Amino acid sequence: MTPPAAEVLAIVDGAVELGGRPVLRGIDLTVTRGEVVAVLGANGSGKSTLIRALLGLVPLARGEVRAFGVPTRSLTERHRLGFVPQRATASAGIPASVREVVAAGRLARRPIWRPAGRADRAAVDRALQTVGLADRARDDVTTLSGGQQQRVLIARALTSEPEVLVLDEPTAGVDLASQRELAATLERLVTAGATVVLVAHELGPLAPLIRRAVVLHDGRVSYDGPPADLPHDPHGVHHHPVTHHRAPSPGLRDPLTGSAAGEVR
Amino acid sequence: MIDLLQYDFFRNALLAAFLTGLSAPAVGTFLVQRRLSLMGDGIGHVAVTGVAIGLLTGTSPLIAAIVVAIVGAAAIELIRTFGRTSGDVALALLFYGGLAGGVLVTGLAGQGPNVLYAYLFGSITTVSSSDLLVTVVLAALVIVLVLLLSPRLFAVSQDAEFARVAGLRVGAYNVLVAVLAAVTITVAMRTVGLLLVSALMVVPVAATQQLARGYRATLYAAMALGCLAATSGLFVSAYADVAPGATIVLIALAGFALTWPVGALLRRRRRLHSPFPELAPAEGPAPTLDRHQTAHTAEDHEHGPDCGHRAVPHGDHVDYVHDGHRHAPHGRHYDEH
Repeated sequence: MTPPAAEVLAIVDGAVELGGRPVLRGIDLTVTRGEVVAVLGANGSGKSTLIRALLGLVPLARGEVRAFGVPTRSLTERHRLGFVPQRATASAGIPASVREVVAAGRLARRPIWRPAGRADRAAVDRALQTVGLADRARDDVTTLSGGQQQRVLIARALTSEPEVLVLDEPTAGVDLASQRELAATLERLVTAGATVVLVAHELGPLAPLIRRAVVLHDGRVSYDGPPADLPHDPHGVHHHPVTHHRAPSPGLRDPLTGSAAGEVR
Repeated sequence: MIDLLQYDFFRNALLAAFLTGLSAPAVGTFLVQRRLSLMGDGIGHVAVTGVAIGLLTGTSPLIAAIVVAIVGAAAIELIRTFGRTSGDVALALLFYGGLAGGVLVTGLAGQGPNVLYAYLFGSITTVSSSDLLVTVVLAALVIVLVLLLSPRLFAVSQDAEFARVAGLRVGAYNVLVAVLAAVTITVAMRTVGLLLVSALMVVPVAATQQLARGYRATLYAAMALGCLAATSGLFVSAYADVAPGATIVLIALAGFALTWPVGALLRRRRRLHSPFPELAPAEGPAPTLDRHQTAHTAEDHEHGPDCGHRAVPHGDHVDYVHDGHRHAPHGRHYDEH
């Protein structure tokens, strides 16, 4: 079976075990070009594991994971993937300036023997401008606020000029004003044609951007469809919205296709 | 100074100290960044066994120590990666194994532990021309590799998962840093000694990270300080007739003693200023410093130890710095303090 050309990231019949314990089971998820997908779910439902699996960071116990149509592990053009990890709370051992952290994102486009050139520096400048941190480029990253540090990590992913942006909990521990700025930044990228996959505990100001919601429950996809059909309050600014998303049974029907989203094996 | 430079052994020692002072902090920067400051010490202990094997087999203790230290350093890295043992236990195993093995094998070689003293604490007069050649070549190799690969080494030690997604071979770079550390330590054992060389990897970095705002600045400044401490320590020890290795380390520590208060003062000033540059949110009224203003409710966001906002002790409670103002929990909302 050849994957469709519009496929960006895909997991086919994926299962993940961490330390012998099943974390994800029977995952079928295909993200196509231009989609803005939010992965929702309670703590421990496997959302972070799902996107880590999508990026090839955790091995699958069964199934297959693809990026741009090839197995993720053998993808050589790594710059096509833009990863924004969850902001680390512990500061690193030695100081690092905003510019240095952001420039690390350019390494995926730079062969080992080539020093940073004009194009690399321009890409870093552009990314810093996109997230509105050009004036903080020389500052130690630990002196920035949580929301600003989140934007530094987004800029780092943007420097490689990726085709898909994968964000792990970009709204966690970030105040509402910073969440709005994050939403504005993502909106610009989405308008420019970026594919976005993000994990969120609560959508908050990101809600208008999301075209597709994937809800995980106990390591299975319990809902996959437009966020408007999610049975919960429309604001999404909520502490534990996931209890409302929970599927009545593991064999919930997808409201769009009528197929079973989380069939019990 | 001129008289000292007339002696061959002193010129050899000076060159060895100069290169050690440059290369040790260069590698040390990436160990400190990964919170493996004591790794150099662990490798140094393993190298003792290498010296002893050199004595036993009648080969060069320097070459034997380099080989054994590289194997030991790679072992530490592999145990950390694949074993269920945590990093500090892996280090402890090599600490004790290396030292005990060294003393045991030295005994087998028919020598007392005294012969190890020259390697443990350095012995400048024993830097021979052939040792010097090995030192120069290897130290230069370490410096060139670190400077060439520093963006990648930084990326790997700063955020290993991101580096992996970007296609960097994280495991290989970690082993490379360990091997470079092993080489640096063994080539420095004649000048500073195996027990003190790891101080030269860590102390200059600890001193300069107090003041620098980036890893590159930390790296270069640490190399400069290490070089200064190593060469000046050599002269001081020659004039005052004290142990050179100890002098070098104490001068580096003096550098830390000078920069630490300055760094602490700068960080304190930054902390006091930090809530204010963040004013000017894109929308909404600018917050004012009303004594009992309730701009945000606890429903928006619940502050706590891990919420991502800077916690500021304020009298009998803790405020959270939030978008340019301070939140103090009060019932279901936050007061502005």
